[in-house]
Amino acid sequence: MLITDPVLVTGWGRNFSSLSKRASIATIAQAQEVVAHAADTRGLLPVGLHRSYGDSALNSGGVLVDLSALNGIEIDSVARTAIVGAGVTIRELESSALQHSLFPPVVPGTGFVTMGGAIASDIHGKSHHKTGSFSRCVNWIKVLLSSGEIVQLFPSDQEFWATVGGLGLTGIILELELNLRELSSNSADVKEFRVKDLSAMIDLLGRSDKDYEHTVAWIDLSGDYRGRGVVSLGNYGSEQVKIRGGGSSGPSLPSIGGANFITPLTVKAFNEVWFRKPLKHGTVALNKYMHPLDGVSNWNRIYGDAGFLQYQFVIDEGREEIFEKLFAGLRSLKAASFLGVLKKFGEATPAPLSFPRPGWTLTLDYPTTVPGLERFLQGFDEELVAAGGRIYLIKDSRVSHSLVPLMYPEIEKWRTIRSTMDPTGLWQSDQARRLRLC
Amino acid sequence: MLNGFKNPGRVALIGGQSEIGLSIVTQLPEDKSREIVLIGRSGDYVLDVTDKAARERVIGELFDAGDVDLVVIAVGLLGNDSKLSTTENLLAAIDVNFLSTVHLLELISDRMKQQAHGTILVISSFAQVRPRDDNFRYGSTKAGLDFYARGLASTLKGSGVTLIILRPGFVKSKMTEGMEIAPFAITVQECGKYGVAALKSRDLVTWAPSILKYVALIFKSLPPSVFRKISHR
Repeated sequence: MLITDPVLVTGWGRNFSSLSKRASIATIAQAQEVVAHAADTRGLLPVGLHRSYGDSALNSGGVLVDLSALNGIEIDSVARTAIVGAGVTIRELESSALQHSLFPPVVPGTGFVTMGGAIASDIHGKSHHKTGSFSRCVNWIKVLLSSGEIVQLFPSDQEFWATVGGLGLTGIILELELNLRELSSNSADVKEFRVKDLSAMIDLLGRSDKDYEHTVAWIDLSGDYRGRGVVSLGNYGSEQVKIRGGGSSGPSLPSIGGANFITPLTVKAFNEVWFRKPLKHGTVALNKYMHPLDGVSNWNRIYGDAGFLQYQFVIDEGREEIFEKLFAGLRSLKAASFLGVLKKFGEATPAPLSFPRPGWTLTLDYPTTVPGLERFLQGFDEELVAAGGRIYLIKDSRVSHSLVPLMYPEIEKWRTIRSTMDPTGLWQSDQARRLRLC
Repeated sequence: MLNGFKNPGRVALIGGQSEIGLSIVTQLPEDKSREIVLIGRSGDYVLDVTDKAARERVIGELFDAGDVDLVVIAVGLLGNDSKLSTTENLLAAIDVNFLSTVHLLELISDRMKQQAHGTILVISSFAQVRPRDDNFRYGSTKAGLDFYARGLASTLKGSGVTLIILRPGFVKSKMTEGMEIAPFAITVQECGKYGVAALKSRDLVTWAPSILKYVALIFKSLPPSVFRKISHR
C-alpha cells in the first residue's frame, strides 16, 4: 500500500478539482492500517471510479482511499446472490453474472461505477419504477468504521440506511451481498417512440410503466424547448444475441485542446439528428441497452476545460408545472442541453439521504460557461423546494447548503447516526464541507 | 468550498471596514448562501492587526470554523493622520501595511496550504512602483508588502493555494478624502470590479485601472530629474 503525494483529482464534470493524497489498498488489513494511522485533520474519503459529477469524491488536503483492488466476485447461482468487493464495477458484475444467466436487478446508465459507489449514491436505473434503487437488492454491507471495527449492516439496521446514499461519509464499504435476477438471454426487447412535446412524453411514460421493465425518455431541450423526444421502453429479451468484444468500451474522444463544443447551435443540430434517427424496434444486446453512455470513453471531455454540470431533480406527480417554469427559463438563457433524460420513479427507500422517490426525475447537462446559468439555477432551486422537489447530491455542484435540509428533511437523523458511526469525524469530503452535510 | 462555477462559499475580509475590500466581496457573483466573515476593528472577529497574539488567535479560529475559499487583505494606513507626526505616521504605516500584514499572510498561507485550496487577494498600490517625494513613506510599506507577496505567491505554486495582487492607483474614497485627485483615478466601485476580475483571471498582478501597467513602465524609465518634476504635486 502506498500513500501518494498530493495529486490533482477532478470530478466527472471536470468543474471541480482538488489536491489529495491517494491510498490504494488491496486488502482489508491495508484499509485498517490507513484508518489506524490517519493523523491528518483533513480526514479520509473512500472513492471508486470518480463518476460523481461534482465534488462528492474529492477531499482537498486529505486522503482518498482507493478501493478498486477489492474486486472479488463470488456468485452463488443456486441462491442467485453475489458477494462482491467494494471495488467491483457494475460492468464486471454483469459480465460474471451473465455467465450464470443472472443479472443485477438495478444498474445505472454507466457500467463504470463501483459497488461502493453504487451504495454511497444509492444509484438507480431505468427499472426504478419496478425495482427501486440499488440498495433494494442488497442483503448486507460490511463497513470499516473509523474506530477500526468492521461491522456487517443489514436492512434492519439504521446504520445500513445511513450508509446507503451516505456518500462515503459513514465508513469504508469493503464488501456486500446482493441478489441477482434470472435471465433467459443476454438481450433486451426494445421499442422506441418519438413524442412531440413534454406532455406526450409524460403521458406515454406514465401509461407504459406497468408493462415494461425499463422505461426512460431522451428529451430535447433546445430549439423551441417543447420537450419533444424519444421514449424507450424495454423488457428483458428471450433471444440470445452475439456480444462484440470482451467488454472493452468503444472509441475514446480524441484530445480536443480543452475547447468546449457544446453551444446552443451544435446542440440544436445534434438534437435534430438525434430526434430524427431511426427508432429501435427489436432485440439488442443487454449491455449496450443498459449502458449507452459507455460507448465513447471520456465523453465528458467534449465540454472542454471549463467543465460542465449535471442538474438532476425529482418532482412529485401532479407538480409538472415546474417543468414549464424550468423550460421557460432555459429558453430565455438560450441554455441548450443535449443529454436530457426524463424518467418516472417508483418507491423510495428508508435511507435519509437517498435521492429517488415517487415522481418525475429530469436530468440535464450544461457547460458551466452559460451566461446567467448560476443565478437562474439558484432561483429555480427555490421554486423546486417550494414545490416539494429535491436535487440528487451525487450530481450536484452548486446547490445552496441552506436548501439541503429542506430537500432532505431527515438529514438531522442521518447526522446523528453518522456521528455515532464516526465520532471523530474521520470521513470528510469537499461536498460535505461545501454543503455542510456533517 | 468553491462551487462548480468556481465561486467562493466562505470569504474572509481582513479590514472589514475597508471600502475597497467591501466593494470586492459584495461584487462577487451573487450567492445568498455565501458566508462573508468580516475581520477588523469591528465585525465577526474583532482584531487589532498590530497585535501579534491576536493575529495568531483570530486566524486560527477563522480556519478552525471551516475552510476559507478567499481571504481579501484590505488593511492599510495612508500615513497621513494629522494628529501624528511624520515619524509616528510612518511607523504606524510600516506596522499595519507591512509587518502585521506580512505576518497575517504567513498565518493565512500556512492554514490554506493545509486545506490545499483557496485564494488570497493582497491589495498593494501603484505607490510601490517608484519612490515619489510626496508618498515614498507610504510607498515603501507597500513596496515591501508587494515584494513579499510576489515571493509567497511563487512558493505557493503546486499547493492548491493562489495568491493574487491588486495594485490600485488613486481611488476616490474616505481614505483619500481631501487629497488632490491624481490622474487615472477610479471610484471604489470600479476598484471592486477590478478586484473581482483579478480573481477570475488569476493573473499574479492586476492593476486598477489597467492602464497603470503602462504608466508604471513609463514612471520607472524616466530620468530622476524629470521624474522629480512630475512627481511634485
